[in-house]
Amino acid sequence: MSPSDFRVISLELIVGAGALLILLVDLFLPAAKKKLLGLLAALVLGIAFDVSCLADLSGTFRQGSYVGDDLALFLKQFFLATGFLAVLGGLSRCQERFNSRLGEYYALILASIAGMLLLAGCRDFLLLVVAFELMGVPLYALAAWTKQPETEDERPAESGFKLYVTGAISSAAALFAISLIIGSTGSTRIDALAQVPMTPLLGLGLAMLVGAMGFKIGAVPFHLWVPDTYQGTTTPFAAFLAIAPKAAGLAALIQVLIGGLGARGDSWQDIVLLLAAASLVVGNLMALVQNNTKRLLAFSGVGHMGVLLMGLAAVVAVDAWRGPQAEGLASLLFYLPAYLVSNLGLFLVAERLERNGGGPDLTAFKGLGRRSPWLAMASLLFLLSLAGIPFVVGFWAKLYVFLAAWGSGLAWLVILAAVMTVVGLFYYLRIVRAMYMDAPEDSSPLDPSPTLTAVVFVCLAATAGIGLYPGPLIELCRAVAQAFIS
Amino acid sequence: MSGLLETIVAAPFLAAVALLLVPANQKTSLRVISAIGALVSLAGSIQVYRLYDMTKGGMQMAVSYPVVPDLGIHLKLAVDGWGVSLLLLTGLIITGGVFASWTLEDRPKEFFVFLLVLVAGVFGVFVCQDLFIFFLFYEIAVLPMYLLIGIWGSSNKVAEAGPFRVVWKLFDVGGKEYAAMKLTLMLLVGSALILAVMLAMYHSAGAGTFDMQVLGQHKYPMWLQSVGFLCLWVGFGTLAGLWPFHTWSPDGHASAPTAVSMLHAGVLMKLGAFGVMRVGMLMLPDGALQWAWLVGLVAVINIFHGAMCAMAQKDLKYIIAYSSVSHMGVVMLGAATFTVNGWNGAVYQMFAHGLMTGLFFALVGLIYEKSHSRWIPDMGGFGKTMPGIATFFTIGALSSLGLPALAGFVAEALVFIGAWQSDHSWWALVGLVGAWLTAIYVLRGAKAIFWGEGPSEEFQDLEDARGIEWVALWLLGLGLIVFGCVPRLILDHIDLATVEVLRELMGTAWEGIK
Repeated sequence: MSPSDFRVISLELIVGAGALLILLVDLFLPAAKKKLLGLLAALVLGIAFDVSCLADLSGTFRQGSYVGDDLALFLKQFFLATGFLAVLGGLSRCQERFNSRLGEYYALILASIAGMLLLAGCRDFLLLVVAFELMGVPLYALAAWTKQPETEDERPAESGFKLYVTGAISSAAALFAISLIIGSTGSTRIDALAQVPMTPLLGLGLAMLVGAMGFKIGAVPFHLWVPDTYQGTTTPFAAFLAIAPKAAGLAALIQVLIGGLGARGDSWQDIVLLLAAASLVVGNLMALVQNNTKRLLAFSGVGHMGVLLMGLAAVVAVDAWRGPQAEGLASLLFYLPAYLVSNLGLFLVAERLERNGGGPDLTAFKGLGRRSPWLAMASLLFLLSLAGIPFVVGFWAKLYVFLAAWGSGLAWLVILAAVMTVVGLFYYLRIVRAMYMDAPEDSSPLDPSPTLTAVVFVCLAATAGIGLYPGPLIELCRAVAQAFIS
Repeated sequence: MSGLLETIVAAPFLAAVALLLVPANQKTSLRVISAIGALVSLAGSIQVYRLYDMTKGGMQMAVSYPVVPDLGIHLKLAVDGWGVSLLLLTGLIITGGVFASWTLEDRPKEFFVFLLVLVAGVFGVFVCQDLFIFFLFYEIAVLPMYLLIGIWGSSNKVAEAGPFRVVWKLFDVGGKEYAAMKLTLMLLVGSALILAVMLAMYHSAGAGTFDMQVLGQHKYPMWLQSVGFLCLWVGFGTLAGLWPFHTWSPDGHASAPTAVSMLHAGVLMKLGAFGVMRVGMLMLPDGALQWAWLVGLVAVINIFHGAMCAMAQKDLKYIIAYSSVSHMGVVMLGAATFTVNGWNGAVYQMFAHGLMTGLFFALVGLIYEKSHSRWIPDMGGFGKTMPGIATFFTIGALSSLGLPALAGFVAEALVFIGAWQSDHSWWALVGLVGAWLTAIYVLRGAKAIFWGEGPSEEFQDLEDARGIEWVALWLLGLGLIVFGCVPRLILDHIDLATVEVLRELMGTAWEGIK
């Protein structure tokens, strides 16, 4: 194991060291200055992102059980960007709610991100399990972080507990599934799947693994923890939870299903199609009846997961002789940053409104058009992006997935998704209506919060900017996808 | 002149962005910037009209910018005879609309931003030659309507009646939010259908590009043409106000503020018909010919049903709204005939009716502002106190029923001749009956409001239009007269395009249908 090997996992090392550093610094920092820990966490993530852009991180580690290729780099940069924006966006809120435990909070977030980074490059089932646990276990604790012993509010504990129980079940199921798979293939490597004929045992293992991943990504019917967990936890963390672990779960699915089984799509496409269709329908329909902002966003996220799974399923063309389609994977990869900027932006706006006494319901958005026109315009663009209306990035993301899926012969699913998109528009427009057409319940101006505003602005710039000029990012995603599939 | 088409499309958009930077309380600056955006586009469309080379014909002033070249998506703009006339129409309407909204006091900044973004989308649709970007502009032209109607619209008390009155009360029928949401959702369901067909065509052609010329050349399998045309017809037709998907239209127009109604009835509904012709009929010709009988049948139902409903209305805005539904039937009838006269008439009707309905809604807006009422039974004798408005209303009414020397006559004459020449000559008869019905309700309406006895006490001191309010009226009213007396000003351009595309479409059967 030479020093050059470490270059491949340098990002994980940086982030992991950052977690330990935060714990260390926390010991010496006076209570008033704890906010610096958040800035330190953001700094670590920023440094890691810069390293990912500048250094050459390609290569393998441990005889190829961990590979740093273009796809891994793309996903890692995505996780780092998500973490950076989520940490910065939630800086003041976290300081308010639990100042004394800030050190552990950021350390756990960084540890979770380190797990996600590891997941992006793993090509070995055991490493997959380790990465998943490293990602998942901190999240269980973080979900319940705002629970104070003195208060009666049980919801943080409920949210953390639900995440923990479903997470533990999914980990157990994943381990069992992996044991079946390893038993069938005789090797812990993921690409060993391609060489083994499909036996019932292997099929069972794969199905269970997809189900276990389904818990993590919040696909129907494994989504029941999602709304309750988002509702009970702090909004900035809910924003992080809505994006990063889902992308991590998808990364694992990409590695196993496409990387491992790419050419034999008929073995897994049906399951993924079922999950996609169910998520689209249930997510959008359930969101129609929600009044709590975070629950609505949770269900809308389930709907978006349906579109992402559609992109995943689109990798397999219905005429099997055509081989794996890079277009499907590219559309999935493009959807991730689109979803990140719109979703995170909207969560942060909800957070700001909640903090200004708006409460957790959609009524907090009332009259935002008059209270803060900029914030309302930003929210409008985020909502339009989530709904898939031109000319913001979400439109391109949705259309690209539809294009890829139609090309793979999944016309029925595209039509279903298009119909569900119109359904989705209804509840997004409810928020627009509250912002612009209703009178504000509280006319006081909103508290300034520089970091949150800055992050919202970055998200807005990305939503509108990539929406007007999507070409470069789409080409990047296509290049990455094509490199991975061949 | 290079960059002309881009300027026309980009000017309103850039004006909207500029408006975002102006503080909300500087209302004059906001209005001036909006007016500049609209006028630049109008000037651009007039310039396109002047520069279009009639000897060459075809698509001219083509430009192309890559957007996502890997997927074959480019921003391709070009204009032909149809495009020339419709750009001009849009330019006139948006200018009229901006000036008609000059005195808006409630949040003018957001209003003009949304209005200008909307019209940028409309300009884009008329000149776009790439199917994906066509769809993108089409969607941009739909969503701002939700905000424009929901925030600045007016709610109407509609007395619930009939077997569904419980539902009416539940959904707040007549309210502006109801109208806005219904409009948005119905139009977006239509665009979901268009999207599906667009993707099917892209993948069937297998050319890896969305270029409409390339996709148009490809011969699609018959089942795709048949199903695809039906879906496109329903999808675009929802926006065009085709029966029975027209129900968003009366509520939407009645609840919308003046400029929005002008734009929507005047231009956006034409977008739908334009889509059916440009995308549906030209790119899926065999399917279109197969379903031409249905298109024509529904068109005559539109004419008839729209006219009958308009006759029953007592709310001024609803009369105009239903009359729009009826006149869009004339457009679709012309399109269904697949004759030169019919298609010329269809596009000319888009132009003429656009001007006319823009004029009507501007007038209605003024009447509402001054009298605070849209209820016709209360009105009467307004012509005594507001002669200018009365005159322009009567001009619009006469154009609507097709009086010669006004633009509506040329359009309807061409459509009815084309219908007579088509395979289903009986359409012409129903069309004429429809014109007669139009005469009934429009003359009766004009008389009830402006002429005759009155005005009653509450309306004694109403004023005529003042100052800037005249701009929209003169612009559009004069347009109706000019293009009615000298139709060849625009008809030559339209005819040039029609003859070319129809010849290409009909191929060997060309001689027979001339």
